Amino acid sequence: MNDILHPRPNPIIAAMYTLRDLDADVVLMHGPAGCGFMAARRLEEAGVRVMTTGMRESDLIFGAEEKLIRILRSIDDRFRPRLIGVVGTCASMIIGENLDGAVKKAGVRATVLPVDIHGCSGPNTTGAIAALEAAAAHRLITYEERDRQKRLLERATLIERERGLTSKSYLEPHPGTTKLSAAQAIVRTLRRGGKVAVALNAKKETAYGFADVLRAVEHASSEVGGETYHIGNLDPNIGLPRIRRYASDILRDLKEADVEVEITGGLDEYAVSGEKAAEALARCDADLRVIVGVPHTVPGLSANDILVTDQPRQLRNYLEKGFAMAVGELSTHADVMSARSVLRSELGETIRQVAGGGLA
Amino acid sequence: MRQIAIYGKGGIGKSTVAANLAASFATSGLRTWYIGCDPKSDGSMTLLNGRKIPTFLEQMKDNEETGVFEGYAGVKCVETGGPLAGVGCAGRGIIVAVQELGRKHFREEDDMLIYDVPGDVVCGGFAAPVREKYANEVYIVTSGEYLALYAANNIARGMANLNVTLGGIICNSRDVPGEREIVAEFARRIGTRLIGFVPRDGIVRECENHGMTVIEGAPEHRQAEAYRRLAMDILENSQLAVPTPVGPEDIRAMLREMT
Repeated sequence: MNDILHPRPNPIIAAMYTLRDLDADVVLMHGPAGCGFMAARRLEEAGVRVMTTGMRESDLIFGAEEKLIRILRSIDDRFRPRLIGVVGTCASMIIGENLDGAVKKAGVRATVLPVDIHGCSGPNTTGAIAALEAAAAHRLITYEERDRQKRLLERATLIERERGLTSKSYLEPHPGTTKLSAAQAIVRTLRRGGKVAVALNAKKETAYGFADVLRAVEHASSEVGGETYHIGNLDPNIGLPRIRRYASDILRDLKEADVEVEITGGLDEYAVSGEKAAEALARCDADLRVIVGVPHTVPGLSANDILVTDQPRQLRNYLEKGFAMAVGELSTHADVMSARSVLRSELGETIRQVAGGGLA
Repeated sequence: MRQIAIYGKGGIGKSTVAANLAASFATSGLRTWYIGCDPKSDGSMTLLNGRKIPTFLEQMKDNEETGVFEGYAGVKCVETGGPLAGVGCAGRGIIVAVQELGRKHFREEDDMLIYDVPGDVVCGGFAAPVREKYANEVYIVTSGEYLALYAANNIARGMANLNVTLGGIICNSRDVPGEREIVAEFARRIGTRLIGFVPRDGIVRECENHGMTVIEGAPEHRQAEAYRRLAMDILENSQLAVPTPVGPEDIRAMLREMT
């Protein structure tokens, strides 16, 4: 048996994030009060109210349908939400709670999506898919949209298995190599008239953080010379309205910074847009390549490429695979949750400093 | 303190045997508990003059002090209770109730604890009474019929997995020809013995209709004598062994040989 020992993303949390993508006003978790505690804080930054039925021992024994109904009604009265997602947990699954039935019985004004999911259902994408299924069943999205996203999620799971977090039996978190060495390599290349290509292939909201690297490289080039080429999965016409909004925000800010981007797909298409990014990178024939977001979704990387991501275990994975420069933007996910404009990243700031001669 | 657990196929007569055993132990002066673990919570009714008591888990749920009810001859009666059919988790209920009983209610000076556990072992919760610190002496009730023996063998497999020791097999007769020999042979094959044979008699139903055990309702009847003898044999029993379950086909082959 090839057991994988490090904790991995959770289907329950993936369902919550997908409900956020669907612009749910409230996510109600049917489970223990502490389930999803850390994720809830982040989602609240993004404007979603996260609540819990706070199951207790006696709820496990006797079932908690009445409690769920009571809490749904009280949320409906008190917050007047338009869309509520009810998300299952390991506890509700094991005792066989009927989320669908409870939602029907509650009969609230809000649209309610029951997402029957639990932590043992497989890769985290099963949670996202369960939320999409519920959304399609309630006609919030079309079946075509559901199928499109499903294909992307299944592709993402496959990539993780082939070359990501689930490709190794254990990955210890690593903070990444220094931003300074990466920034120096970039500025050095530009200063001697070389070409630096930056490919953003990022997952949804994280692009608000990673896009700063494109801005910083463009800025550095304006200071020290050289050529740039920018690539990004920033198509503002693909995906759910919320995801399109992210792309529009980011394109607006990049335009303002004189960054021109070759578009490879939408922000929810990172699992397939990586291939287009690889083609664009091959075409532009750069002296140095920087891949930001989820670099391992871009095939055909070389050991000299600079990879930038936000997951400490993924950084360990890159270093073990022989990439010399794997840079961590570890606070990206926490920072971007409420963003509506491109944020300053640590690597971006370091590039600006090095280009401005601020660092020897 | 002896802690024994009674298992067996649903409807085989576990509760009747357990309640009559409890009554027998109590009338002989032992401080005895009857702990019914079936969510239906009806096993103790013959010890309580047909009364249904508030269940232990309902009391815990309502944050009440958990109470114990005294029945015939001072038997302390508990029904763990549990969810309605089709919701919640009965297994979790048994675990929580047994732990709470151990923490708050059982005393060193108690002599005999009898757990009456529903049906087959269906999940971890139904095995709670035989986990560490609780009963290590299991009696399986069966008749000489294939399905009852099949269930008994399954329970033996569960006990073997949990490394729990069996005290023996109790035959609750369904008037199958050669039943005593069949059950005794089955017991031998799974590495234990027939510890008692309870005949089938209408007096059991008659007493139950009055909300009583046979020990209470017809103490002079030969059926009461059969329960008392079983109680005595269990009291004196020191032969405990982890069972060695057989294959289902072996049971059928045994039945074909013997009938």
